[in-house]
Amino acid sequence: MPIKLMAASRRRPGLTRAEYFRYLEHYHGTVARLERFKIDRYIQNHVIDGAFGVLSDTSHKNKAVDREGVVELYFSEFRDMLDTLEPQGVEQSRANQDGKFFADEPTNIIVMAEEVELPVSNPRPKFNPGLGESGCGAVKVLHYIMRKPEVFPNDYHKLWRQAHDEAMAKSPYAQEMFRKIVLSKRARVNDNDAAARAHFRMVDPPVYDLVVSITLDSMEQVGAFRQYLEAMQESPLDFADWSESFFLYVRPVRIIDDAPPKD
Amino acid sequence: MTQDKNLPEWKAQKTYTQNRADSELKATLPPLTPEEEARPFAKYYYEPLKQPDPAHYAAMEVPIDPAGAFGPEELDRMLDLKRLETQEVEVGWCNLPNGAGFIANTIVYPDVTAEMIDWWFVWHTLEDLRYRIWYPPQHAGIMLSPIDRARILDPDIPMREKNWGVTHYVTENCDCGMENVDISFRSPKDMGFDMDRFDKVAATFAGGGGWAVTVCKCDTLITAPAIMCHMFYKVPGGLRHRTRFWMGYRFTEDGKPELCLPPGVAVPADAVQGLARHNVKEFTRFGDFLPRIYKELGPSLYC
Repeated sequence: MPIKLMAASRRRPGLTRAEYFRYLEHYHGTVARLERFKIDRYIQNHVIDGAFGVLSDTSHKNKAVDREGVVELYFSEFRDMLDTLEPQGVEQSRANQDGKFFADEPTNIIVMAEEVELPVSNPRPKFNPGLGESGCGAVKVLHYIMRKPEVFPNDYHKLWRQAHDEAMAKSPYAQEMFRKIVLSKRARVNDNDAAARAHFRMVDPPVYDLVVSITLDSMEQVGAFRQYLEAMQESPLDFADWSESFFLYVRPVRIIDDAPPKD
Repeated sequence: MTQDKNLPEWKAQKTYTQNRADSELKATLPPLTPEEEARPFAKYYYEPLKQPDPAHYAAMEVPIDPAGAFGPEELDRMLDLKRLETQEVEVGWCNLPNGAGFIANTIVYPDVTAEMIDWWFVWHTLEDLRYRIWYPPQHAGIMLSPIDRARILDPDIPMREKNWGVTHYVTENCDCGMENVDISFRSPKDMGFDMDRFDKVAATFAGGGGWAVTVCKCDTLITAPAIMCHMFYKVPGGLRHRTRFWMGYRFTEDGKPELCLPPGVAVPADAVQGLARHNVKEFTRFGDFLPRIYKELGPSLYC
C-alpha cells in the first residue's frame, strides 16, 4: 500500500504568494521531476484560502497560522520514502537544498500517512471537461484535525468517523457537493521522522493524526464544507482540539503522475 | 452490559496522557497499593515463579542460522504441522538477511485449554495488577482505551473475538529496559492467515502488530515496530504454543506486512535476543499459573 508524505509550508520572508506558487510549481516541481528518486506520484496543493482555529477563539492558539502550500509525495513503500529523503550516495539532493528559497522551513508540518477513501453519496459524473477529470475536482479542502491529547489514538479515528457520519447526515449541501473524501491517517512510522525533519528542516512541529481531503467541483461550493464543519464542531464527541485544527482550500497541481487521465 | 463505573474493571480507565505519564512510575515496579493488595489475585504477585528449563533458555544464547527462519509474508508456514514438526526451527532467534529480527519459540502447556488462553488474553487487560502477576519482574502495567474497554467488557462479543482490533498499551521490560509497547491485536483473517487451513489446525490464536519505545522517550529515540504471532495447537493433555516475532515489520493500513527499516540497517541483536529470552521466561510462567488462576477466577472478567 502506498505511503504518502504530506508537507505543509508557508512562504519564506520576502516572497509574495504569487512568487511562492510560481517557484514551487515551476522550479521546485521541475527539480523533483529531474531528480525523481523513488517518488511514485507528486501533487502540489496551492492554498487559495483557509482558516485556523475557531470563531470563538479571540486569538490564535494554533502553531500553524498560515500555510501557502501542501505537497503530497507518494511512495510504494516506506523504504522508498527513506531512500528519497536520504538518497544513497548523494550528500544532499537538489530538492533538499531548494526548500529554503521558497519555504519558511522551521515551520513546516509533515504527516506521513496512508490513505483510506470513504464513500460519498454523490460522486462526480464520469467525465465533464468543464469540471476536470473524474475524482480530481478543481478544489480540495485539506482539513487538519488535531487529536485531543487525552484521547487514545485508536479511539480518535473511531470517534472522528462517528462524528463525520453524523455531521454528513445533518449537512444536505455537503452530501450533494462532496465528490470524494480521502482520509490521510498518520502512520506510526511518522514517530521516526528524523530524516523527514532534517529534509524539511522543521523545529518542534505540531503532530496531526488525521488530514481529511474533500474534493469539490469549484470554489463556488466551499459553503458545503462550512455547513459540514459546523456540524462536526457541534458534535458532542470530544475527540478534537478545534482551536489547533485548520482547513485549507487548495488547488491541486499535478507534478509527477504516471497514471493516465481518467475518463 | 455492566456499566457500574465503580467496579475495578471500569475504574482502571485513564486518559492517554495520564497513562503515558503514569508509565514512568509503573516502570519502577512500585510495591502494590492497598487497593491492589485487596484484589483476590494479588497472591499471584508474590508466589515463586517457575524458572525456564535451562536447556530451553540456553537455546536463546546465540543466533540461529537465518536459513532456518522466514518472514511474515510466509505466515501460513505456521499452519503446516508436518513441516513445523520436522523442518522448522522451533526455538531460536536471528536477524533475517533484510535486517529484521526473527524469533521462534515453543512450549507445551499441560492442562491448558483454548478457552483458558482466550480468557487470559482478555482478562489481563483490565487492570495493571492483572498484567503484573503474569511476570512480576518485567511486566509493569497495561491500559486500554475507553472504546476498547467497552468492547472487552461487552458480553455480546465472544471471548475469542474481544481483542480483535483492540490495542493493549503495556509497559514491560523485554530484557532491554522498560518500554511502552502498543500492541494492536488482529483477527486471524486480518493477520493474513489462509482461513480454510487455519480453522483445521489452530486451537486458538493471539497476535498483531506492536510499536515499542522506551518509557523515558526523548525526541531522537526510535519507535520500533514488530509483528507478533502466538499460535496454540491441541496436543494430548494440553496445548502446544508456538510464537514467532518479526521485529522491524509493521502492518500497513490495508493489512500487509511491510519492513520499515532504513536500507542497510538491522534490528540490534541485543533487542532480538532480549525479546527471545523474555518470551521464554514469561511463557514458562504463563503455562504454570494459567490453569490455577483460570480455575479460581475464570471465565468471568469481573472479580
